[in-house]
Amino acid sequence: MGFVQDVLASFVAIMPVTLAQSLILAFVVLGIMIPFRMLNFPDLTSEGAFPLGGCVCGVLLAAGASPLMGIAAALVVGFAAGCCTAFIHLRFRIHTLLAGILMMTMLYSINLRIMGKSNLSVFGSPTVFDWVPFARPGFPASKIVVAGLLALIAFMLLYMFFRTEKGTAVRAVGANPDMAEAQGINVWAATIGGVGLASAFSASSGALMVQSQGFADVNMGLGILINGLAALMIGEAVVGKQTVWRQLLAPFAGAIIYYQLVSFCLAAGMPPPDLKLATGLFVLAMLALPSLKRSRGPAPAREAIRE
Amino acid sequence: MLEIRSARKVFYKGQADEKIALDGLSLLLATGEFGIVIGSNGAGKSSMLNAISGALILDSGQILINGADVTGMPVHKRAARLARVFQDPMRGTAASMTVAENMLLADLRSSKRTLRQGLNATRLASYRERLSILGLGLENRLDTRVDLLSGGQRQSLSLIMAVGGSPDLLLLDEHTAALDPRTAEIVMQATVRAVSALKLTTLMVTHNMQHAVDYGSRVIMLDAGRVLLEVSGEEKARVTVIDLIGHFSVKTDRMLLAS
Repeated sequence: MGFVQDVLASFVAIMPVTLAQSLILAFVVLGIMIPFRMLNFPDLTSEGAFPLGGCVCGVLLAAGASPLMGIAAALVVGFAAGCCTAFIHLRFRIHTLLAGILMMTMLYSINLRIMGKSNLSVFGSPTVFDWVPFARPGFPASKIVVAGLLALIAFMLLYMFFRTEKGTAVRAVGANPDMAEAQGINVWAATIGGVGLASAFSASSGALMVQSQGFADVNMGLGILINGLAALMIGEAVVGKQTVWRQLLAPFAGAIIYYQLVSFCLAAGMPPPDLKLATGLFVLAMLALPSLKRSRGPAPAREAIRE
Repeated sequence: MLEIRSARKVFYKGQADEKIALDGLSLLLATGEFGIVIGSNGAGKSSMLNAISGALILDSGQILINGADVTGMPVHKRAARLARVFQDPMRGTAASMTVAENMLLADLRSSKRTLRQGLNATRLASYRERLSILGLGLENRLDTRVDLLSGGQRQSLSLIMAVGGSPDLLLLDEHTAALDPRTAEIVMQATVRAVSALKLTTLMVTHNMQHAVDYGSRVIMLDAGRVLLEVSGEEKARVTVIDLIGHFSVKTDRMLLAS
């Protein structure tokens, strides 16, 4: 009994911190979901765009720029990175995943160049989280309020966008690019813009994370993609993906649930190095589930072997 | 009006398996004319349609729609002038989107897309009305995802999407070939009604000789990437399935002799 109480106590104690973190990371999950689900463009750029946004924001904060400026700059460079990935895929007909790997590899060097060193402390610089009047600075409540508000704004704007004439066209590009083209939609523009937008979200998440944790690190993106994917899978399992509303809600709900799960596992004594293995196995299980449900799947192969 | 001026396209140029898809093909289809394109496999029917729609870039030659040269235009720019129904019902619609959203996409084919709300009450009402013409009950399923519709329903939807907005040119690429006979008949009748009601300039590819005899104002037979035979006017009214098949057999004999 004592063990269970200890686990629960430490889990509950870090719950607000985890919630704040998950609301910030929800933007990466959003940045993974948009290309993957809306554009049918599985994209890995976020693994590079997240630290890119963090590094740019870190450098600007260190130079005395305002925290909003840091986020705005992250959005711009993130957008550019996403555009590059989409362009590499479209122009040179390189697979989307490979284009993403190329981009994130190159971004690692670029991030190092931007910062000039592998990590940069911006502790004490003003952040967007200082602006909540009633909360004590540094307390997770202010982070929850600011990140939650930003998440709400992003959600509403995206929801409205995907219901406009342009937004419907972007979704058509993901659903059937040949048909979209035949209906007069510029597939290149929609793909480049859409993947760019997604990477902008990933980069803004990096910028928020730097402001939240007080330092920027070139390795801060390590494993962010698989975490984001796991969060997306959970979100889609919980809220579904049948409508635009649900599909957009899934990244946010998924991020919140996933990071609480992770924090619970850690509170229960799981060694942190095992976390990636667990996350990977979880994503694998979620992706494999549909083919496991089709019970007839492996049977013909077995029968063929028997003959 | 559609005009093709000595269109030429060679695949795998300079290689052992070089294939001349279009060999100086010229064609003139007057405004409001309903042309039926026939020809054996590999005669260049699909290449011609792809060249018109922009999916295939010509080596040489010109394509004009209503007098405007579209030869160098990408597919999405030509879409403002022409609409196409594919043989495969899956290709002409966005499966994961609803019937209404698909109608919206086609509705905006030739206009600029704005940041205004896409589906509004006015549009939904007009889509409902346009779909009710088919008599398939699609007007009551505007919020249904298209992948839940049958092949025939999807193809009928594609047709309604294509004829909406009266395109300068309608391309029908064996659009009833993948359907069962009864559904094919429904789609074909809907096509004929729409084409005559809206006086659309239409080019229909078909392997169905009866369709070629029954419909259209002109039959165009392709062979080896050029026009082998054109039948129009009174001659078109008198032509029979046997006449048309006769031209196929001439070609088959030649192919036999050549081999």
